[in-house]
Parts: sequence; C-alpha cells; structure tokens
Amino acid sequence: MEFLGEVIGDALDAFSEFGPELVDVIVLTLAVSGISTVLGVLVGIPLGTILEMERFPGSALVRTVVNVGMGIPPVLVGLFVLLLFWNAGPFGSLGLVFTPAAMVIAQVSLAIPVAAGVTRGAVGGLPTEVIDEIDALGLPATMRYRLAIGEARSGVGAAVVAAFGRVISEVGAVLIVGGNILGETRVLTTLIVQESRQARFGIAIAAGMVLLAISLAVNLSLGRLNRPRGVGV
Amino acid sequence: MSFDIVIPADGSRLRISGLELHPEETTVIFGPNGAGKTTLLRYLVRELGGSGTVAYIQQRPHMFRGSAGFNLGLGLESESAARARQLADRLGVGGLLEQSAPSLSGGEKHRLVIARTLARSADWCLLDEPMAPIDFAERGEILSLLTTELEGRSVVVVTHDINVVAALADRVVIIDKGSIVEQGEVSAVIGSPSFTRSAEILGKANLIDGNARPADGLCVLESGNVRITGMGGADGPARALFGAEAVTLRLAGSGHDISSRNTWIGRVVAMAHRAQLVEVTVDIGVEVVASVTPGALVDLSIDVGTEVGVAVKASAVTIVMA
Repeated sequence: MEFLGEVIGDALDAFSEFGPELVDVIVLTLAVSGISTVLGVLVGIPLGTILEMERFPGSALVRTVVNVGMGIPPVLVGLFVLLLFWNAGPFGSLGLVFTPAAMVIAQVSLAIPVAAGVTRGAVGGLPTEVIDEIDALGLPATMRYRLAIGEARSGVGAAVVAAFGRVISEVGAVLIVGGNILGETRVLTTLIVQESRQARFGIAIAAGMVLLAISLAVNLSLGRLNRPRGVGV
Repeated sequence: MSFDIVIPADGSRLRISGLELHPEETTVIFGPNGAGKTTLLRYLVRELGGSGTVAYIQQRPHMFRGSAGFNLGLGLESESAARARQLADRLGVGGLLEQSAPSLSGGEKHRLVIARTLARSADWCLLDEPMAPIDFAERGEILSLLTTELEGRSVVVVTHDINVVAALADRVVIIDKGSIVEQGEVSAVIGSPSFTRSAEILGKANLIDGNARPADGLCVLESGNVRITGMGGADGPARALFGAEAVTLRLAGSGHDISSRNTWIGRVVAMAHRAQLVEVTVDIGVEVVASVTPGALVDLSIDVGTEVGVAVKASAVTIVMA
C-alpha cells in the first residue's frame, strides 16, 4: 500500500514537473484521435447504413471485411500501414513513416470498421415499420440513408463513441507507424508504455489519468447529445 | 395482373393463387384479423415496387424526427407538396404542421400520411386498415374523401371493416386463414354467401337487402316497411351495409335522435356477448344488430322482449347495388 501511495504522489508531482511536455503529448493525442475519429465516422456511418439497407454485388464480402475489421488486432493494422508507407513500399515516396499522418491513416483504418459495424447494428435494429416507411416514400438513396441514420441516432452516437474508444485506447498501431518519438509522435498510450518500461510510474499514472478523463468527457458529452429532448422526440 | 403467393416456403402463413389486381381500380382485401392481410399487402409492396412506384400506408404510420410539415413533404415535388397541404387542411391536420411529428397522436399521424400519400403520383397506392385509427365520428367524412381521391387510381386496401369495402371497393377479395375464399366485382361478391359469412364472423355487420333509389344526394333503401337512408348512388335491387357499432339504442318513447335520419322502434329478439360488447338484435321489421357495452344495457334495462328505439346515422350506412 505504501508503494501505491508513493506512486500516486509521484503522479501528482509529474503534472507540475513535466507539465509542458505532457501538454504536448495530450494535444497530439487529441489531434490524432480526434481527426481519426471524425474521418472514420464520416466513412463508417454511411458505409454501415448502406451495408444494412442495400444488397449489391460484393456487399456480403464488404460486410465480412467490416466484421473482421472490428476485432482485428491494432498491431496488425499498424504493421500493414507501415509496410505500405515504408521507404521501399508502394507509398514510400510520400515519406509518411513515423509521422502523425501515418498514425492517422492507421487509426482511421481501425475506426472505420467499428463505426460501420455499430451503425449497421443500429440501423438493422430499427423496427420494420420504420424501414417500410422509408422505403415507401420513393425517396432518393441519400435521403433514405439520412432518415435511417436520424431514426437510429442513439445507436449511431454509440458508433462515434466506440470509434473514438477504439483509437484513443490503441497503442500497437501508433507505436509501429509513429515510432513514439518524443515531441513528434508520442501520444498518451505510447508514453505510458515507454515510462512504465523504465519504472517511472508517476508520469505513467499521470498520463493514464488524463486518458481516463478524456474518455469520460467524450462519453458524457455524447451521452448528453443522445438524451431524448421532450416527449416523443 | 395475377399473383400466386406462397409465404413461407411451406405456405403456412399465406397460400394465394390467382389474386387478380386491376390497374385503375380499387381492390379491397377483406378478412378477419390474422387472415394474412398485412403479410399479403407487404408482399405486394415489394412486388409492385419492383416494376413501378408504390405509396404505402401502414397500420401504424411512422413519423420521422422533425416537424409534421417536414414529414408531410417527404418525397413530394413542390406542386404535390402544395396539394398535400390542401389535403391536410381538409383532413383537419393543416394546423399542426409546425409541431414535432413524433409527438402527434396516432390519428393525427395517420391523417398526415393519408394526405401525403394521396398527393403522390405513385403507380400503386396500398393501404393497410385505413380507417382503424380514425374516430368513429369522423369516419364518414374521411371515407368519402378517400372515395373521391382514389377514384380511377390503382389501389389495394386491406381491411376487416365492412364500411371500407362498401365505400371504396371496385373489386373485393375475401381471404381467410391465408387463402382466397372468393374474389370478384364488388356487386357480385357482396351478395354472395361467403361475404355474408365473413361479415358475420367479423361480428359487426348489418346487411339488409331491398330496393334502392337516389334521394337528395343520398340513397334510400326500402325493405318491407323499413326505409334506410345511406350513402351511395344505387338505383334498383340493392344492399345496405352498416356496422353494429354504428347503431345506437334508447328506451322507446324517450325522444328522437334528431341527428339520425334513420330512427325506428323495435323489439329486442336476442342478445349475445362478444368480447367486451353485447350484440343486441332488434326486430324493426328487419333484424338489426347493435353492439353496446354491458353497462349501457343495465342503464337502459334492456332485455329480450323490451321495446327500444334504434338509430343509425345515414353517413354510417352504405348502399350498393346487389
């Protein structure tokens, strides 16, 4: 118990001692995870909706890819992105390896299947009469998807939370493609790995607290958006 | 157009062969609850939707998040949206367009969807129990609006309401337990024994045969000494249809119901309990069935042999050629 108490004390000290460095890491974490989530849901939510509402050649294959993608280990995605952007790889000339851009590419790849899968479940869970009503209106496809997403909004909100949760908590992919370079590609999760490996638990715990606070804040704010406003709305 | 439908593969829910639908006519599919009507209609929504546009009114229409006006205009061009607003006014929901649609009552949602659907120029119009959520007092008016607006369009209606059959049908298909019992032109089917049987199973029909002639924009049917005024343009041998719920009873000599054109005096000949209601059969020269609550029976101290006043509004009676 004495040891744990010390660690907590160290963590509190770390906030003042490494404040500016920690702020850089937090900003990069929020930027990479935020951009990845936004891009991931911009693709994933429409993709999930279309996969649930339409049948087209190859749609079964795309559904399988999404399902596998929801559970794929991030290190595999990181490895794959690294190979694509490695100097000798197909996109090597872009020089993106060990940059935040590569981290965003890896995290978007992780976020899309989660956003699509959860959205698909939400749209698929709509009562049949809602889908029948949408189909009976003779609307253009994009309007049909918009109505379905609007009706499944609480489930679609969960898709955003799940996508953000997937990327903010992820360590394997960003470590591989970002390289955990201090001041350039170090984020909260890779910081925790780095510091705890060197038994510097104070700053690791401090970073963990921040990570927890971010997750809580995101969940609470999205939960507020989803709360019903007024009767029947 | 003819359809053979088996759902599911073993036909346990629906086994329909040779269902006839005629374009530019209204086909009413009539049968008791659980006969497979909605399953059949949903099949037709998909089937007819494959080769053309289909407007579909569900039993419990869904409103999307947004105002009633937004929902009214969904899928409509500006010209038909203006038409939809006109119809909404006529259906008494024109003043609700600013309100949030999901918070409207079931009846209000239903009228909005009727207005939107009638304003659309879809190839087929499919309606599932269009009168179910409408209060009895307003049924006559809404039925006559549907009658005018659906004239000449390709329509399929499913219902267990005999008044809907009488008001809307060019053709009638009687289904029971997932199969067609009978189908054909309305005049042929309504006079048939199987229609009488279905109407009796549904437990709320009065079918009275006689001779009809038009009078003052309405129609008067004479059967023996009994005159029944109703809606329709029949001239000659005809049949009057009205629901047992439309018939009201009072003690004889307790005054006239001035709002009803049809008032008679008769003697109670039978009483039968059905669900929460009691069906009272009164002999007014012909037998008329009224559905009343058990409480009303006690209040009126009605029993077999009691003399009672019987009334039914002309707007609740439909008279068709037999």
